[in-house]
Amino acid sequence: MINDDQLFHLLRTALPAADTTAPSRDLWPAVVQRSEARIEVSSADWSLAALVAIALLMFPEWFWFLAYHL
Amino acid sequence: MPDGLDGELLERFVQGDQTAFETLFRQFEADVYRWIVRIVRDRSAADDVLVEAFWRAYRGRARFDASRSFGAWLRRIATNAALDHLREARKHTAWRIADDTMPAAPRPDQAITESIALAFRSLPLKLQIVATLALVEEQPYSDIADALDLPVGTIKSRVFRATRALRKELARLGITP
Repeated sequence: MINDDQLFHLLRTALPAADTTAPSRDLWPAVVQRSEARIEVSSADWSLAALVAIALLMFPEWFWFLAYHL
Repeated sequence: MPDGLDGELLERFVQGDQTAFETLFRQFEADVYRWIVRIVRDRSAADDVLVEAFWRAYRGRARFDASRSFGAWLRRIATNAALDHLREARKHTAWRIADDTMPAAPRPDQAITESIALAFRSLPLKLQIVATLALVEEQPYSDIADALDLPVGTIKSRVFRATRALRKELARLGITP
């Protein structure tokens, strides 16, 4: 069985420690772009919202039931 | 302030001021990037994870407690973003032994290297990240605990379990010193 020292030696030989100090390019524009990206709403979400709205119009008494569970 | 940061700067960040956000980004970018590279071990992926981490920090800025360290809070967010990346990468691709752009390691035997990578990949992610940071990157347990938001005792226990599992897996693969 491999002892701890041998195991650590094998690990460090196979997986060198990362010595990278900084990104290769300026990532601030990418962060800004990400922050300003519009939140995408999928068609499934819109469909679900539409179903809930229709259900509430047809059965308004369900409102409190939904409000309790949401 | 725990990081020696200007309280007003942090306050402006929490309120969504982009100039304050950029100042903090410039100040912490390198430290967070180094931490992410240690976890994901791939420079190109680290770029994406860094952007994701800062975006998450900006999105969650209202939850930042100004009495605590901004750097530690950011590192925790970056660790979670890196873990999410590793989870996603595990689903789609084989785990990388090392990025091609990382420094070349002295590899006495490619088969052993691949076996060790295989043994690493077989670890549960929560043990793999701790093993990477503690055993390969030799980071202090307290830093790992802080980044994972776990007690130091839990980190020690995970290192022990990871070591035991790796030793067992390497023995199973027939790797002997």
